Amino acid sequence: MKDEDLLKDEKLEKVLSPHPLSFMKFQSLSIFLVIWGVLVLWIINASEWQIYFADNFLFSLSFWGIGLLLAGIVASLITVRWSIFILYACIFGSGTGFIFWLGLQDITGVFIPVYTIFISILGFILVEFYRRSHKYIISNQRLLFKGGIVTKRERSLRYENIVEFDSEQGILGQIFSFGTIIPQTPSGVGIGSDNVMAGGGIAIGGKKGKLFGIVGGGKEIQTPRTRSYYELHGIYPFKDVKQLLESYKRSTAPTTHHEEQVAFQKEQVDIQKQMRDLLKMQSESKEDAKEEGPEEKT
Amino acid sequence: MEGSHIDIVIFAPLAVILGVLLFWFIQLLIIEFEKYLLSKIRPNHEPLCRFTNFLGILFQSVCHALGYTITKSGISDFYISVNYGRVAPKREKTGIFEWISNAFLFIGPFFLPAVILLIYLFFSQVTFEVVTPSQLLEVKYTFAGQINTFGSSLYSFSSSFFNFFLNIDLFHPGQFGFMLLLIFLGMGMRPSYIGEKKQEKVDMFYDLKNIWSLIRHKPLYIIILFLISYILFYLSLIFNQNWYVALFSILGWLSIIAIVSLVVSTMILLLIKTTDEIPGKIKLLPYLSLPIFYVLMRVIFFYFPIENSNMISLAVMIISTILITCLLLRSKTNKFKSKRDIKSRKKKGETDEG
Repeated sequence: MKDEDLLKDEKLEKVLSPHPLSFMKFQSLSIFLVIWGVLVLWIINASEWQIYFADNFLFSLSFWGIGLLLAGIVASLITVRWSIFILYACIFGSGTGFIFWLGLQDITGVFIPVYTIFISILGFILVEFYRRSHKYIISNQRLLFKGGIVTKRERSLRYENIVEFDSEQGILGQIFSFGTIIPQTPSGVGIGSDNVMAGGGIAIGGKKGKLFGIVGGGKEIQTPRTRSYYELHGIYPFKDVKQLLESYKRSTAPTTHHEEQVAFQKEQVDIQKQMRDLLKMQSESKEDAKEEGPEEKT
Repeated sequence: MEGSHIDIVIFAPLAVILGVLLFWFIQLLIIEFEKYLLSKIRPNHEPLCRFTNFLGILFQSVCHALGYTITKSGISDFYISVNYGRVAPKREKTGIFEWISNAFLFIGPFFLPAVILLIYLFFSQVTFEVVTPSQLLEVKYTFAGQINTFGSSLYSFSSSFFNFFLNIDLFHPGQFGFMLLLIFLGMGMRPSYIGEKKQEKVDMFYDLKNIWSLIRHKPLYIIILFLISYILFYLSLIFNQNWYVALFSILGWLSIIAIVSLVVSTMILLLIKTTDEIPGKIKLLPYLSLPIFYVLMRVIFFYFPIENSNMISLAVMIISTILITCLLLRSKTNKFKSKRDIKSRKKKGETDEG
């Protein structure tokens, strides 16, 4: 952060980036690809089942694809994100396309694992770029979130606008001392929602008449959640940063003593205003009396 | 029937119990050494120590939960973190049920995690010779006879297990997974937790104290357990079926797996502790030599196949790593006292000036 970006009396405290393991939910997709690639390499070329794959590239391709798609479905169901399934389907589709386009049917046993591992390495690189695009700046007056690979995002959040901090630390975070802090504002930034939907339909009846009914339901739970660009995602050292932020928030928040002082001062001002009005009224009545006095004499 | 009546009635059932206790004590000793190594490397490898703590707590919590499940207490709360684990029962049961649950917590982590590896071994192509019918015919229900049968059962298992273990193929995904599990098991197998605070002394005596308090708290239950063991032995004797030794042999097998996993993980910790003494990035060389030499040997043996190539590859990998570590220690540190120490250098300098 440049000096000219700093506000008046602003002091820079920390410039942070997410921990390399903090995006494990994305990295795990690549880790699975590496494991699956190695397994496919071994099963097709070195295991006792290799005879089933010899001279049958369609069998190898199907085996690889089914594994990928099944993993995609399971991961999507667990995380409630169909993007994982679509991603794996795209990898399978593009791999199949390459095999037919480049005429690699004879070396499928080598191409499929190499392609899978190559894609996983690409995935690791992309996640690393994404991680490095995050920058969190902590100053004595505000929190500054910067990020974005193509589109640059920036958000400045003053401590007095923060209602509370929500923090999260998984097992990896506990082992490597990193965690996520979500600052919540009165406007609702830092709050997301989990939606659970369920529906069902039933048709009863024969040829003459049918009875059709649909039952559905949904539930929404408000939960602390925001984009990684708007939270302190996977910051290290977690405990120190949390303490620092809490201390800054405490310093900006009015304490009970401050609130009492303000109320007392307000009361004082009210009394003074009343006194002023009384004095004004008194002086006005005196002036009126003076004006009326000489007239009576005459 | 050979042997005196006192030997058969009183001492013979104790033979296998003592055998299992001996194995368990060996486990305790290795765990103690492992804890010492972990405490030494803690300043430089805090995450690794936290990870081993997590594994330990995971094993303990799973064992405790298993104890509650077996006693039909149910599980209402299951929470694990890096330095804390909590398992709460649905129904608080007292007496023998509570005691069994606690026994699972204190003694379970020594044996139960090894069950996973034993199941893998049975499902893999490794064949084990359990106590054979011929041995059963020859079995003598005396102290020495029981020890002998127990020993031969363990010997047949050990020879199969070590044959598999020493010829393990690290290019085989299943066997590589077995090796990883074995290391994780060794890292986390401890009944107590190494606290974040240094002053908390959690050692072998602490573990033994826990178990001793479990025994002292309800001595009657221990007597009942001994009685059950004796009854089982007498039934084996009456029916001339060696169920008694077979049952304790399973505990022996689990102990052997646990001891091997503890030894492997201790070796890894020892390597970490030793390389910590080497300054600079060059200390990473022993870790690189492990996969490089293994892959190199496997590639060589792929083109020039010989017998026991897996075992030789493993041996070359280990020996080369030890040699490289020793060479680095010799060249980069004064660990072997091969360099002149500072005092003698100073003295030499003074005499030169004089």
